[in-house]
Amino acid sequence: MGMLTSVWTITRWEMRKSMTSMGRNVLPLALALLILLVLVTGFAAESGIHLQDGMYRLGVDDSGIARIFAGDERFSVYESTSLALWQNRFSYDVLVVGGEVYAADTGKGRSALKALERDYGTYVSRVASAEPDLFAAYPLWIELEYVKSEMDFVATESGQQVGAPTDISSPPRPSGPVAAMTPPPAGIAVSTEDLRAHLVTDAGDSPISRYTDVLAADTGMEAFKTPSQLSPPLPFDSIILIFVFIFPLYFTSQFFMMSIMNERIGRVGEALLSAPVRPAAILLGKGLPYFGIMLLIAGLITLMNGASLLILLPLVPVILFFMANALIIGMTARSFKELSFLSIFFSTLVTSYLFFPTVFANVHVVSIISPLTLVVLELQGDGFTLMEYVYSTALFFATSGVLFYAGMANFTEERLFSEKPLLPRLMEFIGSGISHHRPLLSLFGLAAFSVPFVFMVQMMCLVLFFNVPMPLSLVLLIGASALIEEFAKSVGIYALLGSRPDFLTVRNMLAGSFLIALGFLIGEKVLLLATLSQIAESVFGEVLFLSLQVLWMPLILHFVGVLIVAVFLKVGGSRWWIPGLLTATVVHALYNLHFISGGLL
Amino acid sequence: MNRRHIGIIAKKEFSGLYTEKTIIFAILLQLFIAMFSSFLLVGLTAMYDPEAMAGYSTTRYAVGYAGNDSPLVAEFEKHDDLLLYRIDLAEGVAALKERQLSAVVYAPDTPPDADDPIKVTLYLLQNDLQSSIINVKMKDLLLGYEAELREIRSDRLESFPLRLNFPEGITGTDFFEFVYGLLIPLLVFMPAIISAALIIDLITEEYQRQTLETLLSTPVTFTEMVWGKIVACELLIPVQAGIWLLLLSVNGIAIENALPILLHVSVGGLLLILLGALVALHYRERTSAQFIFSTAVVVVVLLAMAIPYNPLNLIVRLSVNTIGYEQWVVLGVTLLAAAFLAWVTTAYARRVGDERAAGA
Repeated sequence: MGMLTSVWTITRWEMRKSMTSMGRNVLPLALALLILLVLVTGFAAESGIHLQDGMYRLGVDDSGIARIFAGDERFSVYESTSLALWQNRFSYDVLVVGGEVYAADTGKGRSALKALERDYGTYVSRVASAEPDLFAAYPLWIELEYVKSEMDFVATESGQQVGAPTDISSPPRPSGPVAAMTPPPAGIAVSTEDLRAHLVTDAGDSPISRYTDVLAADTGMEAFKTPSQLSPPLPFDSIILIFVFIFPLYFTSQFFMMSIMNERIGRVGEALLSAPVRPAAILLGKGLPYFGIMLLIAGLITLMNGASLLILLPLVPVILFFMANALIIGMTARSFKELSFLSIFFSTLVTSYLFFPTVFANVHVVSIISPLTLVVLELQGDGFTLMEYVYSTALFFATSGVLFYAGMANFTEERLFSEKPLLPRLMEFIGSGISHHRPLLSLFGLAAFSVPFVFMVQMMCLVLFFNVPMPLSLVLLIGASALIEEFAKSVGIYALLGSRPDFLTVRNMLAGSFLIALGFLIGEKVLLLATLSQIAESVFGEVLFLSLQVLWMPLILHFVGVLIVAVFLKVGGSRWWIPGLLTATVVHALYNLHFISGGLL
Repeated sequence: MNRRHIGIIAKKEFSGLYTEKTIIFAILLQLFIAMFSSFLLVGLTAMYDPEAMAGYSTTRYAVGYAGNDSPLVAEFEKHDDLLLYRIDLAEGVAALKERQLSAVVYAPDTPPDADDPIKVTLYLLQNDLQSSIINVKMKDLLLGYEAELREIRSDRLESFPLRLNFPEGITGTDFFEFVYGLLIPLLVFMPAIISAALIIDLITEEYQRQTLETLLSTPVTFTEMVWGKIVACELLIPVQAGIWLLLLSVNGIAIENALPILLHVSVGGLLLILLGALVALHYRERTSAQFIFSTAVVVVVLLAMAIPYNPLNLIVRLSVNTIGYEQWVVLGVTLLAAAFLAWVTTAYARRVGDERAAGA
């Protein structure tokens, strides 16, 4: 009860403080800027975005033809006689002489030609849509029907190509049940004039408007298109929505970050710490308003898009993760500029982690490692299962939990008001997680808790190396993941060495290494169980539960890895950490390489 | 103002950046984004124009054909990347769901010269990378069919468009337009925005940490201190933008007129830095200043883009070498605006400095 009251008190303080500091001076100007923004947006809509103006030079010998392209600002149009144009032909990207189009043989020339062709197509459509007999000008209409395909994990794992015909002579036969279908009617249910109006409004579509249209509602007319109106469905169209969801979260977490930093500046937070409240209550109280605001903003965006509020479920762990990182950055940054750069760096990394897997939503099961894929699925109306939810959010819940705990444990006078470089400071944070009485047990826990982070970074590497050619990407991935694992395992020992230099006796080294290896292995298996149990019935399940002889091999591997680093640290001190890490990485990578090539052969 | 004092402050900020290694984060980030560049180039171009994707595929796609006979069947023979199978509609859609087919078309029994339109139904997989490719290929095929039908019904048409003959066999992609018309101006201007946010940090920090008094007890005046910080932030812009140009050219994207581009970015960036400095001087508190500044940047950038010949557009024109004397006019105008803001900043800083002196 006491805890809840203090949390609530601090929440009220936090809100009052941010309201008064923000309110008086900022709100009037913010309001003015908002009005300006609306005005400027209106102006920009009126005059267009002049970003690509004058990219290409176009030479034309006929003013009638020049008029067709006058509206496209990408072209600087030069009108002259055929002869003059031809003599200076190398100073133009495209030339129209006597009804013939010539393009410079450069990337720019080809690109200009394509733009010109599109403009011409629009012009032809405009002429045709004015025809009294619309169906003579537009005899063919396409109705698009989208069919959902059920992907199965095993099929995509083995890299099955979609739609590649195997037998030329006879059509493929579906292996599953065939549902009866009534053939679509031959007529179009929309009136001719509506179709004509639709043709005219649709004429000026640009690549960018496609994205702004994602948010707009569908009209009934969208169902029928002429062939030239067919534009491929964007495989990534939901991604634009992701930015709409993520950007406000990033912004609000900045306020939380700053609020934490403010406690440290000028030792303002000292009074708060001397009050009889626990750090946990302070942090919860301070965080609650920001959590609420983020949830509110995300909820509003959802409602504005007319989507289901279920979208908020996968967003909650993302919000928590943003806040946990804001807390740690706010507690470690030495100056405002460090705060800025760290938060920019961090948010770019997180955005790419969230963003790139989602690109493969509907294509590969692995895309579910990003919770935003669930948002996309929900927006599409496919929904997601509880298992998928656990799979994609477990890492986010686990890492933010660990980070919040580290923040709470270190929310003390000693940590908040001392200034240290980033790395030693982080080591201090980790070191404070190691108990003085039971250092070995702490090492075990630390190793287990580092696993979600290791998984996250490894997933990041997977995405990063995705576009490197195949054998190289595999080698890089093996090397990188070995390095990440060895790094994570050795952090505890390294931090201990800083605070208790005499800790590394032979007995402690052996016992510590064993416990770290064990903790790491258990953490790994528990997380795998949570995240991959949707495929637990498959091969993975057997590896996890049955073949125990496979379990002791990684245990030995992890043990040897930590031991190598520990020996380096004991012999050479903290300066030998990196050489030790590299040695352990090589051993680890060789083992993995052997295991994988053995599995392949 | 004493130039040496400004230099001392600038040097102090640089050494701060160096000891905190913050600038390393910025450069790491650039490298990180550059590592994604192959993904960026293929993936984002595809986002910008999915039709570009079709060029990357070499497979033959199986398409199911259901319904009545029509000249559409003959069109398939012209496209050797599409393979037609006559199939029952229900069976075809089931095979599509299992990904044994890439698309299914259904043709009605409307004759080619009928008064009514011919409505073809096209079944595709929803939200699938490959269905984008097949869509592009089908579009090509259907356009051919449409042209043929138009020919049949041409005696019913009244007006004809001006004719243009386009060269055969040259196909461009939107890659060029995406990279030069969008990616380069955005990437090159990013350092300018980062620098402008940095000046806010540098100025508000002195207020919030109450280090101003110490700093001002030296012979450095308040105005000199502000300008020293501005100089430090300004110098970062060409360095970071230059790294971008270098990274892009390592990725095989040649950029013309690198030096004028850096010049334009530096002047445009100065404008933003001065704006940031003014906001910081006014609010003296980071959260408020950053909030107001980032909103203001959106307004300023949007306004600039709505005006022809804006600095972002000039960077596009410069990078593709379609530029004339007009760049110097724009540069002059931007410089004038920066000079005006510089004057306002100096006056503001002097007033604040005087207040400080009077208060102390």
